[in-house]
Amino acid sequence: MYIASVLVTICANVVAVIGLALLTGYTGMFSLGHAGFMCIGAYAAVLLNKYFMVPYVFALILGGFASVLISLVIGYPTLRNKLRGDYFAICMLGFGTVVRLVLNNMNNPITNGALGITNIPKLTTLWSALLFMSVLVYFMWNFVNSQYGKNCIAIQQQEVAAEMMGVSIVRTKLLSLAISAFYCGVSGGLLGFWLQYIAPATFSDTRSNDLLATLVTGGTNSITGPFFAAILLTTMLEYLRFLVNWRLVVYGLLYIFIMRFRPEGIMGYKEFSFKKTIQFFKEFPQNRVKIIEKLTQSLEERTKKKNRRSDNRE
Amino acid sequence: MTILIQQLITSVSVGGLYAVLAVGYALIYSVFDFTNFAFGGVMMVSAFSGYFVSSAGFGTIPAMIVAIATGIVVSIAIELLAYRPMRKRNAKRLFLMISAMGVNIFLTNLYLSMFGANLRTLSSGFISNTVTILNVQIGTVDIAAFLTSVVALAIISFFLYKTRPGITVRASAIDVSTAGLMGINVNRVSLIVFVISGITAAIAGMFFGMKYTVYPGMGAMSTKAFIASVIGGLGSLPGAVLGGFLLGILETLVTGYISATYRDLFSFGTMIIILMFMPNGLIGKGDQSKL
Repeated sequence: MYIASVLVTICANVVAVIGLALLTGYTGMFSLGHAGFMCIGAYAAVLLNKYFMVPYVFALILGGFASVLISLVIGYPTLRNKLRGDYFAICMLGFGTVVRLVLNNMNNPITNGALGITNIPKLTTLWSALLFMSVLVYFMWNFVNSQYGKNCIAIQQQEVAAEMMGVSIVRTKLLSLAISAFYCGVSGGLLGFWLQYIAPATFSDTRSNDLLATLVTGGTNSITGPFFAAILLTTMLEYLRFLVNWRLVVYGLLYIFIMRFRPEGIMGYKEFSFKKTIQFFKEFPQNRVKIIEKLTQSLEERTKKKNRRSDNRE
Repeated sequence: MTILIQQLITSVSVGGLYAVLAVGYALIYSVFDFTNFAFGGVMMVSAFSGYFVSSAGFGTIPAMIVAIATGIVVSIAIELLAYRPMRKRNAKRLFLMISAMGVNIFLTNLYLSMFGANLRTLSSGFISNTVTILNVQIGTVDIAAFLTSVVALAIISFFLYKTRPGITVRASAIDVSTAGLMGINVNRVSLIVFVISGITAAIAGMFFGMKYTVYPGMGAMSTKAFIASVIGGLGSLPGAVLGGFLLGILETLVTGYISATYRDLFSFGTMIIILMFMPNGLIGKGDQSKL
């Protein structure tokens, strides 16, 4: 049961982080309030299921669409005028805060203010969570490798050049915001039906930061990187329960060090693929000498570069 | 009527502090083109050291001095340890922003773990005093906050517009790399900018601590400074000042006449509405309006 709980949390986190990976990693927009979308998705899904008897799967998907709707409402005015990324980041921070504030102060029997909704039926099972995760990851994989995904990368690399090549910047940004909101909404729903209890505090700023930390650790330019990072960090969290608040201290340091020494994250710009890994290990015994030679060569080049740089400085 | 006047006076003093904070924000933004999310952390750390000094029995003035010194040291340490190595590698702005987030999370949670989430009152000599002028009661803290922020703003603008180092800062704000080519020592400019922002953070932190309380989460207040500088026009100093005062007035009026819980809703809402109609803020005019 304990392991199942960890696994479901991993699935929910993977879904949310993959959604954020499209927005922050591929399109290059920085969001500080994606927990707000998780919150909206969770509330919408749970309320639909409780009061309108919508079946579980549809409730999750509709919860996702509720997030999409809100994301368009907030995204259109902030993205329309080609606002700089910073405006967008602060708008998203405001959005996350506002969602939590409004839900905290809505003292009606339906949402129950700061106390949150209790007695939610436990509809998320390990298998449904795994299924949702794999389907959503598959969709995202296809999206990122499609023309739309390439448009997103183009915008991240050079906005002006992308526009010159005919990529509609506002539309692409809105699309990636909407998709990431959908993923976060579904992830919130998954969590809500598993924990059987949701409150505005469940989706605090800490969760937004956790999402971002996971993404950064995994690498902002791949899908597999954040995927593995979500698994790694969520399991690590279970082992680090005793740290309580120090966990976030470690997270902060993690951000700084990753950005300082390896800004592209664990996977960098590469994607993990089984074929290449298997091939690597199959050919390893024969190519051992070659690989070692290659490594030493690159090391030598690096030290040479460093020397040259220090020479120039002098 | 008296209540309205009292509200307005409080709002001007809060607005002055927002303006000081927003100037610190806008300076870094205009020179290095990234949002320094670590600003709130610096503010919190310096408010804490001011609190420790004043609770050890020293007066308000030594506390203020220690707070400012802490602000400068922390701000420069962050610049040297986190930002400068990244700028050397020509890191993307997104990476700088994430690193700044990391610094903020690190500082906030470090203090939270070390000192707990308790609210601490920063006792000062004049916190409980009020002055009555024409039936209007004004807190002495409000007056001190307003005067200090006006003086600080005046000194900063004198420095930026009339002195040699200030001119190098303004030149770098227009284009850092060209300024570097023209023989301006960009590393020194960055130190100047971070020193100024550390001082503004410490001043605002001390007065927020005296008016309200000191606690590890108080860095969130610096979000308001960011809103203020966005309203005024990101990167523009007069804009930051204007935005700070406007936001202070708006927030106090909303708190006084509507509800304190919806204060943040109104500030973020105003920002989004202003951005919808004036994407460069109230007096920003694009890139030329810097400093």
